[in-house]
Amino acid sequence: MIEVTDLTIHLPGFSLKSANLRVEDHDFFALIGPTGSGKSLLLEAIMGLLPVDNGTILLNGRDITAIPPEERGLGIVYQDYALFPHLDVKANILFGVRYHSIPEKESQERFRFLVDTMNLSHLLTRHPMTLSGGEKQRVALSRALILNPGVLLLDEPLSALDPMLQDDLKNLLKSLHQELGATFVMVSHDFSDVLFLANRGAIIHKGEIKQTGTIQELFEQPGSPFAAQFVGMKNVFPITPCNGASVTLNGLDIQLGHPVMDHDHLALRPEEIVCDPHGRATGANRFPGTIQKLVNRGFYYDVFIQVQEVEFMAQWTRREVVKNRLEPGSETRIAIPRNSLHTF
Amino acid sequence: MAYPDQAGDKAILNPFPKVKRPDLFWHCFVLLSLPLIFLIIAPLGKMMLMPEFSDLMAALKERVVLEALGRSLFTALAATAVAMVFGTPLAYIMARKNFFGKKVVEGLIDLPIMIPHPVIGIAILSLFGRNAILGRMLDQVGIEIMGSLTGIVMVLVFVGAPFYVNTVKAGFESVPIRLEKASRTLGAGMTSTFFRVTFPMVWRNMVLGAVMCTARAISEFGAVIIVAYHPMTAPVLIYERFTAYGLKYSQCVAFWLIAISLVLFVMMRLFSRQRRIQ
Repeated sequence: MIEVTDLTIHLPGFSLKSANLRVEDHDFFALIGPTGSGKSLLLEAIMGLLPVDNGTILLNGRDITAIPPEERGLGIVYQDYALFPHLDVKANILFGVRYHSIPEKESQERFRFLVDTMNLSHLLTRHPMTLSGGEKQRVALSRALILNPGVLLLDEPLSALDPMLQDDLKNLLKSLHQELGATFVMVSHDFSDVLFLANRGAIIHKGEIKQTGTIQELFEQPGSPFAAQFVGMKNVFPITPCNGASVTLNGLDIQLGHPVMDHDHLALRPEEIVCDPHGRATGANRFPGTIQKLVNRGFYYDVFIQVQEVEFMAQWTRREVVKNRLEPGSETRIAIPRNSLHTF
Repeated sequence: MAYPDQAGDKAILNPFPKVKRPDLFWHCFVLLSLPLIFLIIAPLGKMMLMPEFSDLMAALKERVVLEALGRSLFTALAATAVAMVFGTPLAYIMARKNFFGKKVVEGLIDLPIMIPHPVIGIAILSLFGRNAILGRMLDQVGIEIMGSLTGIVMVLVFVGAPFYVNTVKAGFESVPIRLEKASRTLGAGMTSTFFRVTFPMVWRNMVLGAVMCTARAISEFGAVIIVAYHPMTAPVLIYERFTAYGLKYSQCVAFWLIAISLVLFVMMRLFSRQRRIQ
């Protein structure tokens, strides 16, 4: 278990402001934020590679804030893998074994398990320079995991791989996490990766932790306009608070699923907006609108619909768009289910 | 001839069709390089070829010559060893740490390259001469600087160390800090990390730095002659023979000094040749 309390780091031009985190045992925890938000910084600080200005880091109740990285019992896999170029794959994987009191037999077992799981047996005598990105990644993972670290930190593990390999690695990470019963902390800027892998997470923006919680919570109940945008709620609007279960959005009356108090933002996923050109939908929140713009995303379209003063963004399948002959300027109707509306 | 596959479709591959001969560039550069090569080869070649073989062998039988050559080799290698012991940590600090006054220290390290060699000798003399406090103190514990091998080595470290430190510093800078960090996250302390990660990646630079330091040290004359005319190193002997007996006598010693240096450096280069990792 990792507990980070009031962690503050000042660097020239950037600072991490009193970050608080709690990673439970067996968590797959995701630090999520856009590039430059300070998430990798936080990871390096937990690992002990960055001097900390303030705050404490506890690992299983032990204060490790002032302990050098080699004695923390944590492992890290870098985005660029950081394999030792002068050592072959086998020597890379076994690099750290001698510093940990692992019995010979056990280390051999772990080595064999990892080599099998990661499918590395044919690469053991190769040098890192000759490996592909995916292979390097698996070597770097093995090198860290053979030491059985209390927590494994992963710095953007997916971003340097091409899409095909990303899927493989996601499955690998997920099964490793389950099989080893390990605790993983991953840094990522892509919420869809996080959704698949992690169970809990924190959203970081400009050096501040905006929100922590289960991934489900982050996904469904973002607490700020930034978090909402980041988890894919492309429609975020300021609202005038009204009584009970209806709000006014720029003159548009919208019915909510449940009454709210003192909320001043409304957020909505684009895929939740229903395309209803023939007016067959029932229930609240049905509006006529004009299509402003269509952006082809391959399997689906981003559709921008003007409803009075409000522009909504919807994501509709290619089939829907073609079938209903939607094009810029055409009139259509949309329906917004009450339960898909989120306020904060 | 250098680009056989271009011969057929030059017009397609050549981005500047007006330049009929892309080789012209290289011809010009080769032409401009030749005078420099000539300047190095011609005088040295002439000097190496001029002495009679019998004179060369005779020179080798002279005790004074052998001793001077041996002394030159020994002091240069000793100076290199000293530069390695003290210069490696310095180079590592300079490559890895930022501190107030770093530029000044960098300038200081380079200084011996710039100042005239007799000035270096005079500087050492003024510090360790028999009338200077430090010189007298060392004298009392039995360490003599002036006119001793210790003094020669000290001078040679002074002139040679910058070459070692700068070369090795560049080597350390080329090792990504990330690799050292990765090593520490795997449980290796700073010392283990240095010897298991950093050192294997810079030892070639260390050999190269040592070659340059030795080269600089073995050729030093101006500073050595002020600190120690005796015991005589090869360059001093060559100078003495030149002033006392003339060109012919000095050439025979010079030949052997150059020969020894050449063998030494070719050996070191071969030893440190970059092995291509397949």
